[in-house]
Amino acid sequence: MNALLEASRLIFDPYVLWVIAASAAFGMFVGAMPGLTATMATALLVPVTFFMDPVPALGAIVTATAMAIFAGDIPAALLRIPGTPASAAYTDESYAMSKNGQLDLNLGVNLVFSVLGGFVGVAILIICAPALAEVAINFSSFEYFWLALLGLTCAVFMTSDVPLKGITSLLFGLAVNCIGIDPAAGYPRFTFGSVELLQGISFIPAMIGMFALSELLRGMVHADATGAVIAQRIGNIFSGVFGVFKRYWFNFLRGSAIGVLIGALPGAGADIAAWISFAISKRFSKEPEKFGTGHIEGIVDATSANNSALGGAWIPALVFGIPGDSITAIVIGVLYMKGMNPGPTVFLQNPQFIYAVFIIFVLANILMLPLGWIAIKGGKQLLRVPRNVLLPVILMFCLVGSYAMTNSVYGVIMMVVMGLIGWLMEEHGFPIAPAILGLVLGEMLEQNFMTSMIKADGAFVMFFERPIAATLGVVTLLIWGTMLWRGIKGRPATLSEVAPAP
Amino acid sequence: MRANDAIAGLVLIVLSIVMIALTASFPDFPGQKYGPSLFPRILGAGLIVCGGILIWNGLTARRMGAPWVELAPWVREPRRLVTFFLVLALLLLYIFAAETVGFIPLALLFLVTLFLWLGVRPWIAAATAVVGTFTIYWFFATLLRVPLPRGWLNSIL
Repeated sequence: MNALLEASRLIFDPYVLWVIAASAAFGMFVGAMPGLTATMATALLVPVTFFMDPVPALGAIVTATAMAIFAGDIPAALLRIPGTPASAAYTDESYAMSKNGQLDLNLGVNLVFSVLGGFVGVAILIICAPALAEVAINFSSFEYFWLALLGLTCAVFMTSDVPLKGITSLLFGLAVNCIGIDPAAGYPRFTFGSVELLQGISFIPAMIGMFALSELLRGMVHADATGAVIAQRIGNIFSGVFGVFKRYWFNFLRGSAIGVLIGALPGAGADIAAWISFAISKRFSKEPEKFGTGHIEGIVDATSANNSALGGAWIPALVFGIPGDSITAIVIGVLYMKGMNPGPTVFLQNPQFIYAVFIIFVLANILMLPLGWIAIKGGKQLLRVPRNVLLPVILMFCLVGSYAMTNSVYGVIMMVVMGLIGWLMEEHGFPIAPAILGLVLGEMLEQNFMTSMIKADGAFVMFFERPIAATLGVVTLLIWGTMLWRGIKGRPATLSEVAPAP
Repeated sequence: MRANDAIAGLVLIVLSIVMIALTASFPDFPGQKYGPSLFPRILGAGLIVCGGILIWNGLTARRMGAPWVELAPWVREPRRLVTFFLVLALLLLYIFAAETVGFIPLALLFLVTLFLWLGVRPWIAAATAVVGTFTIYWFFATLLRVPLPRGWLNSIL
């Protein structure tokens, strides 16, 4: 209880509240601009939060991402372009509703169910995380090895439509992570005499490169492409929303639950949660024929799911240090930089930080209602910001941000190299998320693998001797087996088949 | 631009072989079977297997008539191609000239060039570049105390 009071004291401080409000506005803006994603918002925020205490830093990231995922729905309805990939699943449906004259209802439903979905996500996070942390406190290197491997397996299983390319991307990320001092013996690997490479690839510039620079390169090339904003007055967005809730409350609960589950699975975040919950909504709907004509039902499922996925992704991130999506992957990098190694021990040693994250999530979702209303009202003006002015400024920001992380040009070099690699990978159909997960989890995987190998000393049975380790190991091997089997049979081997590549 | 999977696979295999060759010089630790070379070698082996399958898939696709290199539509439009390389050139310029020239002149050049190339009207381009550069400088150098390179303006700042 003391920790809870301490957490509130940390948050209800004018400076922290100011940071939260500013990041909320920033998140709304980035989310509403097509081509700028929630992950990019996080990567751009990190150089700024780097100079803050842990609580305002976490507050900025949590708030900005929650807002961005909702704000992505606005251009979907007005322009038929999703603001973030998380809104892509129901962009056509939203736009169809706008054309049918239901723009107000659509935006109202998106806002209210985003807020409600966010609350479900944080509620499950608050219930599950401490309970899981109590189990995790007894884990040894064997459990952590399997857990990391299971996380990486999920990343491949969830995100890539061609599993081979997902696995390649994952191995590539792990290999890049080998650069620097090795975690078991302390020997410098692949540093080629460079002092800067000794500490490994600087994580944040690499993220800015892969998530922001590669996206900006694509955006700049098509900077002249603009959509036509739908010419409809926005009226009272809240009328009729309660009726939708009464009719589709079950869809809301189902969508939120699926969102949390998919968010919590490593590698898959809000975008895949939206695709899958939309597909499930259509499959089990009483009126599937109405989907695609501007029907609200699937939107309720998917817009709840993408916001609840955000909370879900923090469960494995806080408890095991395994990111649930690419946003929490960056968060874990930030936590390490702040000397707070995520894992069950944080729950014992610094519980006030955990409670602070919970409170910020609740605050962010409360704040979303008025701010979202403002963003919707100003949506048309917001979308008039010219891309050819915006993109160069953001590029400049990336440049300075990665410079700030190392206080030298080394950060910029890292960003450019990783940005080009990320761009090339996407051009060739290699998903980026597994590589990022490999970069984040590489050290944990290798350290626990080496410790376990040395403990086992050739007796591989030891990897399966402890009950939880055995279960995790068997599940991991089963997933690999299923993927292989389905791959050989020529059937879709991964879950992402429902989510066609954009 | 999209090269055939076989090319991607070949590049991966070459890189993996280099990586594994480099691990040969890693020391072993007395009394222990597993040293710092184990993990990179496992990854290298995995990448070689993936590269092999990629080559196989790429060659199969090639026999079905897929080209070695497939160009995205925007590559054929010179204007867009120039945009792409202009961005890269400006980034490289920043990397090499930042210490001597300094942040402010380079950022101004960077923004004005990109704005004008992307078709922003000159006076808006100039005004936004000045405001943008000084806002970013104020935010990072003054507020967050990042030592942005001063270069030419060292005596003034």
